[in-house]
Amino acid sequence: MKDIFVSPGSEVNYEIAKKTTASFFIHALLILVSLTCLFPLWWAFASSLKTQQTVFTDLSFFPKHPHWENYAAAWTQADFGLYFLNSLIYTTAVVAGVLFIASLGAYAFSRLRFPGKNILFLVIISTMMIPIPGSFIALYVLLNKLHLINTRLGYILPQINGQLALGIFLLKTFFDDLPKELEDSARMDGCGRFRIYWNIALPLARPAIAVLAIFTILAVWNEYLLAMLVLGDKSLMPLQRGLMVFQGAHVTQYPLLMAGIVITVLPVLAVYLALQKYIIKGITTAAVQG
Amino acid sequence: MSYVCVRGFIILLFVVLVSGCGSLDKKDLNTVTVWHWMSDRESVFQALANRFENETHIKVKFELYAPSESYAQKVKAAAQTDTLPDIFAVLGEKRDLASFIKSGAVADLTGALNKPEDGGTWKSQFFEKALAVNEFLPDNEYGIKAGIYGVSIDVAAIQMLYNRKLYRKAGLDPDKPPQTWEEFLEHCKTLKENGIPCFVGYFGEIWAIDALASNYAMNLMGEDKYFKTFEGKVPYTDPDWVRVLSLFKELADERILVDGAVTMVSKSAEQTFANERAAYTFNGSWCVHVYKGMNPDLDYGAMLPPRLSKEHPMKVWGGGASSFVVNDQSFRRANAIQFLKWLTKEKQQSTLAAETENLPANKKSLGKLSKVLAEFADDIRYTTHPNVFPVHEDPEVTVALDKGIQSILIGEKTPEQIAQAVQRVKEKVMKKSHQGQP
Repeated sequence: MKDIFVSPGSEVNYEIAKKTTASFFIHALLILVSLTCLFPLWWAFASSLKTQQTVFTDLSFFPKHPHWENYAAAWTQADFGLYFLNSLIYTTAVVAGVLFIASLGAYAFSRLRFPGKNILFLVIISTMMIPIPGSFIALYVLLNKLHLINTRLGYILPQINGQLALGIFLLKTFFDDLPKELEDSARMDGCGRFRIYWNIALPLARPAIAVLAIFTILAVWNEYLLAMLVLGDKSLMPLQRGLMVFQGAHVTQYPLLMAGIVITVLPVLAVYLALQKYIIKGITTAAVQG
Repeated sequence: MSYVCVRGFIILLFVVLVSGCGSLDKKDLNTVTVWHWMSDRESVFQALANRFENETHIKVKFELYAPSESYAQKVKAAAQTDTLPDIFAVLGEKRDLASFIKSGAVADLTGALNKPEDGGTWKSQFFEKALAVNEFLPDNEYGIKAGIYGVSIDVAAIQMLYNRKLYRKAGLDPDKPPQTWEEFLEHCKTLKENGIPCFVGYFGEIWAIDALASNYAMNLMGEDKYFKTFEGKVPYTDPDWVRVLSLFKELADERILVDGAVTMVSKSAEQTFANERAAYTFNGSWCVHVYKGMNPDLDYGAMLPPRLSKEHPMKVWGGGASSFVVNDQSFRRANAIQFLKWLTKEKQQSTLAAETENLPANKKSLGKLSKVLAEFADDIRYTTHPNVFPVHEDPEVTVALDKGIQSILIGEKTPEQIAQAVQRVKEKVMKKSHQGQP
């Protein structure tokens, strides 16, 4: 009797309404989360266009009288030209070093059999727990003995070392899941171990490599504490040193600092957008593989 | 083509990296290296270094390592590897400076400071209080040979400030800030009646509470009795200490503090005062530069905290602020001392004071100070600091006292309860230290 009053059309409408409502709430939630992520960035951008006097009193989303000249002032006062070049060199060198060494190490852990493999892997992974500031003095003593204090190499090598554990862990997970049959066929075709790694395994691990690359770029681009410990010459300092100019012991020039932050964020944002496709693929694959 | 590009890039990168290798030329006698942490003074330091080089042909290289916590770590690491620069600073407490002196890393400047020259001595140019922070008296608790081991490039005083405009608005005389605690309470009442919030301090930073409590303890009981408490001869349950603690209860009960002041950090408190949302604050002389940046039109004056007792003077924390020491192992030591001597001369000190709006360490450079800064300078004679105290309280007891005051301010505990709690900590610490003695 009840079914008489429920037409097939209304059932479809009910399903559509249910899906639309669910979709609405999911999208509303996602938009809210996105806004909480974007708000600090927007706040930094809006603050970069204010003055020192108005930065805490003018709470508008966009100032009525934007001071675009803050960007020019930040660029010249912080000597960003020099620091940009330095950061570019450090980031390129560290990313290249990490990708090459971590991929070789990860491939070895994934495919080779040797005594103490698991223990060695655990030891490498456990180094992820030691933050660089925790080993500052020991690192300084070591670099000093190697005559690497105040050199570019002295700044690059500890950073490569610092990123290796994560890189090896990430890439090993990928190599473990690559079909071994592919390598067997390559071996039958006469490929050696290194050629298989270089021509077969590495191209297939491109999404994971993209993820590792962006993590490393972010870490190196934002690094400052190690630079301050190892480097002395202003001419060798990375980009983050420029931002310190605006942060005095008692006075912080917020508009210039924010302008500087926006300037430093842009290249990383560009790299992220360029690698976005691979990063999402890499992260989702890693999530599926656990 | 792409292989050629990649190879070219790798070769270029290698050349750039290797070109960065190589250590500093340690034989360069004419370049003095200074490590500092004062990022807001970098440009004026550079200008002064150029001026010094033009006058003496000695190059001075300022290297900035900020923030101060990281700077302190860098200095400690360099001390362990014998790579300290010619001039540096030891940030922290006096015991840190003592340990650097014991390790032979800091030169004794007493001889240079007392050497007669130009009708006086280098020492005679400074405010007396400016050098005390780096001075070790005979038979000091650290076992350091008596002498002066560093020079300050500026001085500071931590006092109370009041907003003159808000004073006028409340019908109070802006030239007559409160002199006594009773007057302060009366003025606060008038301000509140006119809808003006009274007092903002950054009591989220416990050193500020420590400073204010210390000021009033010394004012009420005198320095002797105050130091006897540290020695364990006067208990924290003494009526004078309970009275000091009860001042904070009065601040809470009379609703004198602005909302949130108990947990506020310096930046928020400075913003509140600069935006005229409080009539009083408690801050160091460095605030002049801060307020100028936040609100150039702020009309305010500096005053000593309103005294509680006429028996003893009101002392405030201050004295030598930013100090430099000379590396005793450096073979450029003579040039380093020459530079510090030059940097603390009247002309250079005036430049530093004008550019940074800090109080100069050279007393002859006071001529062109702003009105508020001159008010701070007037009270330098009343300054003292834990670093110059003859005895020191155990940090555990200090923290118990400061956190106790915070709990009084939020109405959680009474002054008597805190006095007893602090005394218990003190007794525990003393018992431990007696047990540790051979």
